Amino acid sequence: MGSEFVLFVSATVFSIGALGFVIRKNPLVMFMSVELMLNAVNFLLVGYSSFLNSLDGQIFALIIMTVAAAEVVVGLAIILTIFRTRHELDVDHINILKG
Amino acid sequence: MMEFLDQLWSLNLDRETVFGLFEQGLVFAIGMTAILASLGVILCATPIYSALYLIVNMMCLALLFLLYNAEFLAAVQVIVYAGAVMILFLFIIALLGAKKEKRDLSFQNLAGLGFVGLLFCELLMSMMVGETKPVEGRVTLEVVQQVGSAKAIGIELFSHHIIPFELASLLLLVAVVGIISLAKFSNKQLRKRTRF
Repeated sequence: MGSEFVLFVSATVFSIGALGFVIRKNPLVMFMSVELMLNAVNFLLVGYSSFLNSLDGQIFALIIMTVAAAEVVVGLAIILTIFRTRHELDVDHINILKG
Repeated sequence: MMEFLDQLWSLNLDRETVFGLFEQGLVFAIGMTAILASLGVILCATPIYSALYLIVNMMCLALLFLLYNAEFLAAVQVIVYAGAVMILFLFIIALLGAKKEKRDLSFQNLAGLGFVGLLFCELLMSMMVGETKPVEGRVTLEVVQQVGSAKAIGIELFSHHIIPFELASLLLLVAVVGIISLAKFSNKQLRKRTRF
């Protein structure tokens, strides 16, 4: 399969992830949508590193995976802390910083 | 069925062509499965099903990494994402309880849909353009196959990309410190908001 297929799959999964981040209200599902977007970008980088005979894309994808793991861990800890103090999970109700 | 096989036989395809066609069909099927699984992530009302669909999506992407000659990254994808990150998600869902989410087609959702639709169209338009100036790298498939994917990535990582690698280790350290402080010092109830 050529590079158009990689671009198509990556663009579609990225858009679906962005849509999920916008329309869902559960912060866990929003985090999963962020993971979807990061995975789509990873796939694009790996596919193009295979087409262009260069390993830079794969190394970039590896570092993106590191960042994603750190981000998920910190984000889930924050969600858990919010749940501990408020006993509910809805991003529309977390407005204590709104002023 | 037999007629179809006879027709296929009369085409006189050699081994490489058949394997190439099979590989293309495999890549197409796995890519479509990844797209469908990602749709399942955002459309399921219960978070636990979303997590399971996300595992399917990550496995599909790992298989695609394998088919695009990135064996090491496929292994890392399975171990780090499907292994560590998703287990974390499932633990958190089990801790917090999975409630069904009520869905309504509000104005905000429609606006988000329009915005993301526009984004998707832009991405498709950029897809139509194609490559403007292809770069020719020096690490061809033969070189990678001689030393193996993991070793090639290791050599590249420790020779040309050593600073991002060290920065990644610093990032992980910061994440560990942040987690510990969040878990240790957030037990106290929030202080009442003072009203002015």
